[in-house]
Amino acid sequence: MKKEEAILEVQNLSKVFDANTDNEKDVLKDVSLQVARNEFLCILGPSGCGKTTLLRCIAGFEGYEGSVLVNGQERRLPGTDRIMVFQDFNQLFPWKTVEKNIQYPLKRQGIRDKAMLKERSEDVLQKVKLSGYEKYYPYQLSGGMKQRVAIAKALALKPEIILMDEPFAALDAMTRNELQDELMRISLEEKCTIIFITHNIQEAIVLGTRILVLAQEGKIVVDEKNRIEKPVTPASEGYGATWERLHSALYQ
Amino acid sequence: MEDKKRWAHTLAARVIFVAAFLGLWEYVAKSGMMGEKSELIFPSLEVIGGALVKNFVQGYAGMSLWVYIGNSMRLLLEGLLIGIILAFLLSGLSMVSRVFYDICNLVISVFDLLPGVALLPVVIIIFGVKPGVIVFLVIHAVLWPMARNVLDGFLAVPRIYIEAGQNMGLKGASLLWGVYIPAATSYIVSGLKVGWARAWRGLISAEMIFGVASCPGIGLFINQMRTNMNNAEMYATLVVIIIIGLVVQYGVLSPIEKCTVKKWGMSR
Ligand SMILES: Nc1ncnc2c1ncn2[C@@H]1O[C@H](COP(=O)(O)OP(=O)(O)O)[C@@H](O)[C@H]1O
Ligand SMILES: [Mg+2]
Repeated sequence: MKKEEAILEVQNLSKVFDANTDNEKDVLKDVSLQVARNEFLCILGPSGCGKTTLLRCIAGFEGYEGSVLVNGQERRLPGTDRIMVFQDFNQLFPWKTVEKNIQYPLKRQGIRDKAMLKERSEDVLQKVKLSGYEKYYPYQLSGGMKQRVAIAKALALKPEIILMDEPFAALDAMTRNELQDELMRISLEEKCTIIFITHNIQEAIVLGTRILVLAQEGKIVVDEKNRIEKPVTPASEGYGATWERLHSALYQ
Repeated sequence: MEDKKRWAHTLAARVIFVAAFLGLWEYVAKSGMMGEKSELIFPSLEVIGGALVKNFVQGYAGMSLWVYIGNSMRLLLEGLLIGIILAFLLSGLSMVSRVFYDICNLVISVFDLLPGVALLPVVIIIFGVKPGVIVFLVIHAVLWPMARNVLDGFLAVPRIYIEAGQNMGLKGASLLWGVYIPAATSYIVSGLKVGWARAWRGLISAEMIFGVASCPGIGLFINQMRTNMNNAEMYATLVVIIIIGLVVQYGVLSPIEKCTVKKWGMSR
């Protein structure tokens, strides 16, 4: 079988916080990882194992040792090829309407045509089921709606890869399930590559096409394809076994 | 509904207060209880009203009060504009360079405590008695509080907005314009409020202490009324000064707040 094309490559990435002080801490040690185009990679790991740090390094928000390649090109700074969806609901600019939040980065990319901007923002808002909320300001939306807009904003940019850091962790269970379903549908319809961090095993099985479990210092202890057919429910064949396997890896 | 009721309540309270104040004034004026100087200290409302009209129609030295107001406003606007631009420049540069930030912080703290009027003698020695001196004092009045507020605002911008901005390719000036300034709007607006109030007082004081004959302003006007013992005209000018202050507050600053931080749900 031909090796799949890697859209993202992390090579020997290491991150030390508070270097040369008493608090010096190796958060990530020599992490290497490849992500294939159109893959939905879910990363599980106990709290404090360095998941957020890994994603922030990939996004270019932190300095690190090693390298991050997108389509073979080294990337050290943030860019629109890697769009981050944060866990924090307050990631939208409160001074812009929903529509403008989505259009602003597109404008920055040089799209000036009003009709085209409108079409793009309406299109992605429809995908996250928020049509009609174009003129709302972020403070008028619930947490779940804000996360939908953040996802829509990322989709509109058509990045090489979308980085999601527990975007649903602070939502109530019902909203969370709804958003999981929608994100899964979108990921099947759109051609997009996603790294999705979570500490919820069910979420990883439902969403991922590939699942990674990290231990301390970002050590990869599980790396497997998720072969359970979508849409996944707890009744799906293989769900129980996968859940057990991930659970024991996570709490070993 | 609640809002409307509250608003009506506030309005009623204010109207009653002002009416009571004017009523009391008129009573004191009419009763002559202040003795022979009563007419000077408490001219009646009709007299003040007449003086107000006279200020605008006849004015002083052949010029209507409008001319004096215009002169003051011109110098004020010039100073405000330069002061605000400088404040943004200082705070913007402070975000770029740590050394500049440290120096800027010190300079702001020192000059913010220095009353503009205290600088007046020095400034006059350097520049001479020119309208530029007034502009200088207005700049001094607005620059430091404004720079302090803008800088504090920039420092308080949540990291997530900055990172979201960087993620969409903003950096340097575009990050400043696209993220720092809108995110710091509530600080900028309070800087404007403080800056405006200081500039307005500073302007009137400077004009009263030394009027620039080539560009006579409201401060000079009120001072002339004082020296000529035209007390009713003096009160009338005070009323004009208060009205201008209110117009700026409710006609300019409040609307700015309403279409920014209030509209965005960002005001505390
Ligand atoms: N800015 C920072 N400075 C110092 N230590 C940090 C910083 N950010 C994270 N850490 C530490 O790095 C470790 C990994 O954090 P993080 O990547 O947030 O973990 P996770 O997202 O997996 O819960 C934690 O021990 C945390 O305390
Ligand atoms: Mg985390």
